[in-house]
Amino acid sequence: MSTPYRASVPTPGASPQWRSLDDLARLEGGGDEFPADASEWPDALSRRRFLQLMAGSLALAGTGACTRQPREEIVPYVRQPEALQPGQPLYFATAMELGGEAFGLLVRSDSGRPTKIEGNPAHPATLGRSSVHMQAALLTLYDPGRSQGLMKSGSPATWEDLLGTLTEQRARWQERAGAGLRLLTRRIASPTLREQIARLLTKYPQAQWHEHDAAFPAPPLPAGLRLERAEVIVSLDADFFGSGALHPRAAFDFAKRRRADHGRLYVVESTPSLTGAMADHRRALRPGELADFARGLARAVREPGAEADPWIPAIARDLTEHRGRSLVVAGEFQSPEVQASARELNEALGNVGQTIDNLPPAPGPRAAALPELARAMHSGEVEALLIFGANPAYDSPADLDFNAALEKVPFTLHHGIYFDETAGRCAWHVPESHFLESWSDARALDGTVSIVQPLIEPLYPSKSAHELFAALLGELPADGYEIVRSAWQQRPGGGGFESAWRKTLHDGIAPQTGTVSAPPAQGATTQIPPTEPAAFQASLELIIRPDPHLLDGRLAENAWLQELPKPFTKLTWGNAAHLSPRTAERLGLAHGDVAELRYRGRTVRAPLWILPGHADECVTIHLGHGRNCAGSVGSGCGFNAFALQTSEAPWGGRGLEIHKTRERHVFATTQEHQRMEGREPVRVETLGKPTTPPAEAAPAREETLYPNIDYGRPSWGMVIDLNTCIGCSACTIACQAENNIPVVGREQVLRGREMHWIRVDAYFAGSVEAPQLLHQPVPCMHCENAPCEAVCPVAATVHDHEGLNVMVYNRCIGTRYCSNNCPYKVRRFNFLSYNDTHAPQLALMRNPEVSVRMRGVMEKCTYCIQRISAARIEAEKEARPIRDGEVVPACAQACPAEAITFGDIHDPESRVAALRQSPRHYALLAELNTRPHTTYLARVRNPNPEIA
Amino acid sequence: MALTAQRCEQVTDRLSGLVLREPLRRGWLAGFALAFALLMLLNVAIPWLLIRGVGIWGVNIPVAWGFAIVNFVWWIGIGHAGTFISAILLLLHQQWRTSINRFTEAMTLFAVACAGLFPLLHLGRPWVFYWLLPYPDTMALWPQWRSPLVWDVFAVTTYLTVSLIFWFIGLVPDLATMRDRAERPWMRVVYGIGALGWRNSARHWKRYEMAYLLLAGLATPLVLSVHSVVSFDFAVAIVPGWHSTIFPPYFIAGAIFSGFAMVLTLVIPVRAVYGLRDLITERHLDHAAKVMLATGLLVALGYASEQWMTWYADEPYDAFMSHNRMFGPYWPVWWTVMACNIGAAQALWWRRVRTSPALLFAVALLIQIGMWTERYMIVITSLHRDFLPSSWGMFHATVWDWATFAGSLGLFFTLLFVFIRLLPMIAIAEMRKQTTEGRE
Repeated sequence: MSTPYRASVPTPGASPQWRSLDDLARLEGGGDEFPADASEWPDALSRRRFLQLMAGSLALAGTGACTRQPREEIVPYVRQPEALQPGQPLYFATAMELGGEAFGLLVRSDSGRPTKIEGNPAHPATLGRSSVHMQAALLTLYDPGRSQGLMKSGSPATWEDLLGTLTEQRARWQERAGAGLRLLTRRIASPTLREQIARLLTKYPQAQWHEHDAAFPAPPLPAGLRLERAEVIVSLDADFFGSGALHPRAAFDFAKRRRADHGRLYVVESTPSLTGAMADHRRALRPGELADFARGLARAVREPGAEADPWIPAIARDLTEHRGRSLVVAGEFQSPEVQASARELNEALGNVGQTIDNLPPAPGPRAAALPELARAMHSGEVEALLIFGANPAYDSPADLDFNAALEKVPFTLHHGIYFDETAGRCAWHVPESHFLESWSDARALDGTVSIVQPLIEPLYPSKSAHELFAALLGELPADGYEIVRSAWQQRPGGGGFESAWRKTLHDGIAPQTGTVSAPPAQGATTQIPPTEPAAFQASLELIIRPDPHLLDGRLAENAWLQELPKPFTKLTWGNAAHLSPRTAERLGLAHGDVAELRYRGRTVRAPLWILPGHADECVTIHLGHGRNCAGSVGSGCGFNAFALQTSEAPWGGRGLEIHKTRERHVFATTQEHQRMEGREPVRVETLGKPTTPPAEAAPAREETLYPNIDYGRPSWGMVIDLNTCIGCSACTIACQAENNIPVVGREQVLRGREMHWIRVDAYFAGSVEAPQLLHQPVPCMHCENAPCEAVCPVAATVHDHEGLNVMVYNRCIGTRYCSNNCPYKVRRFNFLSYNDTHAPQLALMRNPEVSVRMRGVMEKCTYCIQRISAARIEAEKEARPIRDGEVVPACAQACPAEAITFGDIHDPESRVAALRQSPRHYALLAELNTRPHTTYLARVRNPNPEIA
Repeated sequence: MALTAQRCEQVTDRLSGLVLREPLRRGWLAGFALAFALLMLLNVAIPWLLIRGVGIWGVNIPVAWGFAIVNFVWWIGIGHAGTFISAILLLLHQQWRTSINRFTEAMTLFAVACAGLFPLLHLGRPWVFYWLLPYPDTMALWPQWRSPLVWDVFAVTTYLTVSLIFWFIGLVPDLATMRDRAERPWMRVVYGIGALGWRNSARHWKRYEMAYLLLAGLATPLVLSVHSVVSFDFAVAIVPGWHSTIFPPYFIAGAIFSGFAMVLTLVIPVRAVYGLRDLITERHLDHAAKVMLATGLLVALGYASEQWMTWYADEPYDAFMSHNRMFGPYWPVWWTVMACNIGAAQALWWRRVRTSPALLFAVALLIQIGMWTERYMIVITSLHRDFLPSSWGMFHATVWDWATFAGSLGLFFTLLFVFIRLLPMIAIAEMRKQTTEGRE
């Protein structure tokens, strides 16, 4: 029966489109595709008949809207999937890529739904820690704003339609050897995808591959930092704790060093960064001065002599005293000259191989850059442009005029997770599968390769890049799993493939793929930076950087990241032009003024944020905002900084003018006041100096009217080490994912109603010119004498036997008295219905162990009581106490610096109990006699006596 | 203060006639229409609140209590004057109270009704308000007795109950008068039900006097207790600006202060419109103004001791709070409070001001504004900057905050206008006793 069909199946691509074998048989056999009268309009249409038809259509249109949901039966598994117990989460190793690097993940799956992302402890880039972007990737998966279907010129189309078109296109490419065919991708971490690209470039030799990543410029020489070995670190605007590929590994290693012995970190930067906030000495210099500083430092280490800047000889001495144990890092946005200075310093100090490793670049063909593509497009050389993941219609420098260029390309295809600006301008749009829905692989910075395995079937008819490439190449297999698997099968490796594949899937990393070190890079060309036109010499300098959370705008639709307060400014839902108080004063500008930024003939209107610690005479703006087609969440927040970006100086330069307008802007910030007012919520000590006793010690334990309750064991507590906390907010967003915390939107943030259970407070201490930047994560303190409990009229917030201050949502009537009486203001109230209960996708995302709160109910940090319960149940099953470290709240698990320690404070063996004995240990507002269970370790500074 | 010139019959006739014979006046209609329009605003604001949630108001974190609590305390304070006049002045044999006690008791009742709305509306989930009550529920859950909000529930409901009974008992002889004088049969029936079969017998009078006196005795401690308990909402909390033992006496003085201001605000127009200048004389105004002056000075003493305590205690948080009130972002609030409650009240030292209805009316209005602003100061400027500078914030009232407040004014005045039309606004039986005839 099937033989004639099979015999008639031609090779794909050579025949007209068919859907099924029947279809094909009909096509081949000349079956009538259009039966008579199927779609023909009757000629003699009477008025009566017309009205009848219209009425019928209307009625049917109405019924179409109320589709009856299929009745679903709850049926037990006929065959129980391996290791699956209903109600018990499973964890799968996978990886995500960001900026062309892999980050190994462990993802929790509840009943087949990924519900929480953590770092994979075995993966070198994460070591079990995570970052805001990893945590927020979960929301992107379930985002109702994702592209949900294939589109052709703005109307829905099918995959088969596309395959047909690609068949035609392939024939053309074949004919011309790929001339006019261009690929545009972001930085790619997947070796399999690189192989596919290589195959495409081999098949069509004239085709060209371009790479564009507006948030992660390709480093000239990849290098691995070993911060744990470096005793003296100098950062030349290198924000390794920020959103770059080094975070969270950098934070982890740095914290390890700080805990062992403090070391010293110098940061010279223009814009306050998370790295700058950790510095023992921080210096704000504008980019031009920074380059001089780097040159001066290199000179001073080479041949010590007199320097105009007193910092340079002091740092140089410190560096030379720590040969092989020091490290100089230049930021990825710095000029090649600064990079060269840093390289020279590291080589002169013998740090290469000690604290910094030169890493081999990813194998495979090299990609060209975006400007070359834009030039080719403008000149009409490009016939087909295939865009993978990138969004150049939004995130390309303004001088390329990419949108106009795009119109000159006859065939355009966009593959992306959102129907974004570029998708809207391309002929074809193919929805991209999220990494939790598709098979792939990814290579980390050091060469470790992981398999990206899906945890869920694609929610929408989307395709992974591999699948689309297979279609482009006309290759089989066409299925993502088979593509990745067969690519891995072809790679050399000892032993049986199946067991190796399974082990790699399980562990999350392929054995022995990590490369230790590459030979010292030679021929690192020191380019002379182009001299700037004299006209610009006296003007302000513009600094363009990716947004710390939204990056280049690719995450603008992610509401968690939009609402995550940005470092220092605590700004949400928008961006600002940052400048120093002194510059603002000189120019007569005030905080919140809307100004016109004019830069080399282009103009953008931006609200001004006066940021202490910013370098004078320069302005920092962040990319990633002001999008038009980011969906309902991301569109229209902030201004588009790409409008000022130019391809020759993408990260800014001289020539900026600011013109004040009459408009004012209100920032949606979660922290309006950033002075400590002499209250010292963040304590700072100086290394080697005796700790100053706190101004007012906690009252004696007996000082209470209520009977003292002695909690037994366990009595949960948390210690947050402010000396290692980098203030990255990974805890905030991890908590949001774990505890089903809603986002509230800009209007509600403006009203002061954000819902984060753990917030990261930012303070400025010292002078306005050179302030010290401080961070402090603040979750619920779980006070023993909790002021909130005494005032709740319905006992909705009470203490449990394990020392937790628990919130009983069902009992809460919403008087909000508890929040008023909370001196830490960590309670959050559902003023309106914040939880979106309508989007079915978001219902899938929620953690089933945590209640979704309704409006009118107070909520707050629970120390992840669901995790405590899970651990308790396990311990009780084994008839043993809960072990130290067995309960890890989401914040502590995410923290890249391991700054949050959680455990039983009454267990003398526990890590928290040990930390509570530290001389740096203190409780926030201890004088109020609240006896908090969340306490802090003071920040320590290790100043260089020559500078201080 | 005997009304020598008037006879019992005359007094009875005039006062009952205000209800029974007086035609619908245009002034009354206009006033009622305005009040009713505001009430309808409340009728929109409340459903919208129930549909959307308290987020339609300006409350936030840190200022989790806003207009609702300000209005609650303000209205409860206004309610105090009535009970003070009815009960305490009765026990102190202050005969001048008779002219205004019925009116002020009604005012108390309506003010407490308005006040009672707010704590319910301000709940996140108002439909479960009854969890505040100790009722035998299946989960054996009780209110949390340490919370002043539970005390509030008892204080306010007790106060409402006692005020209602006190007012009603006082009305019984007058309702009988109305029953006897009403011409339409249905009115006779309605008033007759309220009159509880009052026949003006000596035995009735004996029992009535005893009951009234006992209720006065019962109401007297309530005057002190209710606002003390309300003030505990603040005093028990640890918020700087709230956590202070001065609150109970300071609140009581403030309550009577604002209550008398409200009495004067209402009585001065009413006596002019209804031609009751001979029953509510300038002497009454003078007395009321003196009470206001005295309580106003007590309130000023409260402010002064609060300042002194912040200085003496040398508590950084309190010192900051005090400074922030005067010079922080809400500085106009503090200065308004001082100008109205201390400044304007000093005009009452002059007899000319005390006996001039127009001037007194102006002062009383200023004091009411001042007292509302004082509650705003206590609730909002204390909360908006407490311990950790990181969580400092601002409160901005929304249109719904104002709508609810205006709506509560509408409710109050609607009830008052209805009261004026349906019941004798001056206690007839008591006024009869004040005439020379009655005294014989």
